[in-house]
Order: sequence, then C-alpha cells, then structure tokens
Amino acid sequence: MLELINIYKTFNNNQVLKGVNIKVKKGDVIVILGPSGSGKTTLLRCINFLERADKGEIIFDDLRVNVKTASPGDISRIRKKTAFVFQNFNLFNNKTALENVTEGLIVARKIPKSEALETAKRALSKVGLSDRENYYPSKLSGGQQQRVAIARAIAVNPDVILFDEPTSALDPELTGEVLAVMKQLAREGITMVVVTHEMSFARDVANHIVFMDAGIVIEEGRPDMIFTKPREERTKQFLSRILPFDDYVI
Amino acid sequence: MELDIKFMVDTFFLALAGVPATLSITGVALIISTPVAFFMAISRIYDVKIVKQAVTAYVSFIRGTPVVLQILIIYSLLPSLFNTIIKSTGWNINVFDINPIIYAYIVFSLNTCAGLSEIFRSALQTVNKGQLEAALSIGMSPVQAYTRIIIPQALVTAIPNICNLTINLIKGTSLAFMMTVKEVTSIAKIAASYGYNYIEAYLDILIIYIILCSLVQLLFALAEKHLGSYKNIRGTLVNAG
Repeated sequence: MLELINIYKTFNNNQVLKGVNIKVKKGDVIVILGPSGSGKTTLLRCINFLERADKGEIIFDDLRVNVKTASPGDISRIRKKTAFVFQNFNLFNNKTALENVTEGLIVARKIPKSEALETAKRALSKVGLSDRENYYPSKLSGGQQQRVAIARAIAVNPDVILFDEPTSALDPELTGEVLAVMKQLAREGITMVVVTHEMSFARDVANHIVFMDAGIVIEEGRPDMIFTKPREERTKQFLSRILPFDDYVI
Repeated sequence: MELDIKFMVDTFFLALAGVPATLSITGVALIISTPVAFFMAISRIYDVKIVKQAVTAYVSFIRGTPVVLQILIIYSLLPSLFNTIIKSTGWNINVFDINPIIYAYIVFSLNTCAGLSEIFRSALQTVNKGQLEAALSIGMSPVQAYTRIIIPQALVTAIPNICNLTINLIKGTSLAFMMTVKEVTSIAKIAASYGYNYIEAYLDILIIYIILCSLVQLLFALAEKHLGSYKNIRGTLVNAG
C-alpha cells in the first residue's frame, strides 16, 4: 500500500537519512525504534511531506511520486490519505475538541456539516471524550488532548496513521490512556506507523519492528524475533540499554 | 491665568467637526495597510527573494524618518507629480482642486503599512509552527490553514500592539493640519488665532484626543476579550490539570 524507496534527507550539512526503504501493508502496525538522531522522526515526516526528502520515491497505492519533483497536487493527495499524530498534540487552540475533529472534514474534504458532525462525534466517543466535545484545548489535560488528536486523525479515515512519539510528552498515567486507544485502533485493523520508545507497545501491538540508527535501517522483522534474537550488534546494544534486564536475555 | 470658558466650549464643538476627518484618515490608513502589511510580513517570514529586501528597506526608511518630514516631502512632491501625470494624460483636472485629505490618506497609509507589517510579522511568529503542520497534515491548503487557524490566533496576540498603533495614528493625524486638512487640530488652531486663545484651544484639542483614544482602547479591550476566549488567560496558581 505504501512504500518508501531510497529516501535521503540532509539538514544543513547533516545527512539525516541515508537511503531508507520501508514497506507498509494494509493493517500493519509498524514501530520504528532507534536512538535520538537516528532519523526516525524525519522519516515519518517525509511520508506526508512535512519535511521534503532530497531524493527517493514514495509509492502510495496507484500514486508514484519522486520526492524532488512532487507537485503540490501530489502532496495534497498523499496528505489526504494520511493523518499525523504529533508528540506535542498540535490541537488547533482556537477550536473546541469537536471543531478540531470536524475541521479537516468540512474544510479540507468539503464534507457537509451534518455528516461531518456525526463522524466527529463518533470519533470522539471512540477515544472516550464525548463529554468534552465543547472544551477548548487549554482546558484539557495532555492525555485528553492527545486523544482528541487521535480522534482528529481517525475521523478523516486515512489509509495510514502516522504517530510521532505520541506519548513522549505525557506522564505514565496519561500515557496509559493514550496507548489503550492506540491498541484498540490496531485491533480494528487500522494501519499505523509509530515512532515510539514504549517498548511494551512495540512488543505487544506491533507486527513489524524497524530499528534505525544514524540514518539507515539496521534491522527489521517481527517483534519476537527482534526482541529475542537480534542479529546486528547495534540492535543488541540498543535493546540491552532500553529493555529492563530481566525481560529478555540478549 | 484666566481661561475663557465660553471660548473653550464654543471651540470644543467647532473642533468636533474635525473628528470625521481625523477618523477617516485613521480608517483609510488602516484599511489600506492591513492587506498590504500582511503580505509584507509574509514576504519577510518566508524569505521571498527580492520582495523581502525591498520590504525591509521600506520599513527601515519609514521608521527611521520623522512623520513630520514624510508629510513635508509628500506634500511638496506629490502635487507636482500629479500635475505632470495629469498633463500627460490630458485630463482636465486642476491639481489644486484635489482635496488635501487625499495627501493625508497617502502619507498615513504609507506610514501605517510599515508599522503594521512589523506587528503582523511578530504576531504570526508567536503562533506555534505545529499549528500549521497539523493543519497541513489533515489536508488543509496553506491558505485555509492561515485564514482559519494561524491568523485568528496571531490576531489575539497582535491586538495590544494594533491598539497602540491605532492610538498613535489618531494622534499623528494632528499633523495633517500642515497639509491644510480640516481636522481637529487645524480647526482649533484657526479658531484660536482670532483672539490668541491658544491655551484654551490646545486644552480642547487634548480633551478631544483623550476621548477618541479612550474609546479606541475600550474597543480593543473588548475585541481582545472576545477573540481570546479560547485561551486560559487567567493563569491559575493551582492547576486543575
């Protein structure tokens, strides 16, 4: 469904992505792991052109774009097939929770208001926030804001949802409520690409792990393989630091 | 020191006749400047080649020269410039029939553009970049993102500064008397010159400007409260979480 081929990206003389390839099938839950600076967030942002890669191709169903020559129309088409959940939520501060969710439907997709309201209410109830529909983001907790952000993402019915460290800005209690929503989405078969440090999520929910370091994919595979039998040295090093000692023997 | 109260009262109401001129110069300057200043601000934020340099130079020049001087230059140059243009197109207009308020509109629009563009530029930059990214990521076009999300939020931040600019503009129009525009200051000064009651006239002018500026401040305070209702402006020491 979605494929990234040979993606390169440089920021100010710093080559952040050095030829990365990713394949996403419908229903996949892909978790991208790696140390800071490995390029995983940049890769995610290249998918919907929040960053524009320097070189490479993106294939999205029948849409094949060269990142250098991609037209605004191509970019818009890709953005309409994806949704992004940000680390710091990025809810529209001047809109209520409900308005945040309907904005993309009414304005970007020209869906009639009544239909959009129905879809939005359903999305908010799915993330458990029906009672906060008319609250502004300034009156919501971090966990609630992130769940509204997820509702905003699912309401537009994207082919794939991109999550950029969705729980990194939340304390452990709020993290739990957001991860629960994400697990539910995964169970329903929604395609997700997630950059995260939450190992339990990666282990329990993902069906494919991609480990990146210094701009390239070091290793990828099924969670049980990566976590119990990592092949590369760098992977072993990373996992031994980040996993609790008694969980896995590497 | 004795104040001629009767003169003060009479002149006060006489000078009020100049308020429409004062307000119209202020209004025209603001209305013309708003869209222009917005694009000037955008050109600087997004580093539009050539335009950005031109805008920066223009803003620098306007802010680096006294308004008095800008008025003198425009008032000396423009009539003869218009004369040349009119002669060459063959229209039958007498340059000296042009209402001097037109020159006031021009000078104050040029001046306001510069200040307003800086206000817009700083206000736009206070809006978190993530707001734009979120809007783009759900498929909104840049124009939609700006008009529905970015500008409304930037506007709330800009209101105190725009209020400042408006008040200064109102006060600045008092210099339009130099171009023989019949606004508040000029009417009061002319009335004063008959009997040399300058102090009374100046006090009248002061009172009128205080009233005008207070009304403006009130309006802007209301606007700020209404537009910023989505914010948690009253910071609480005890966080409800």
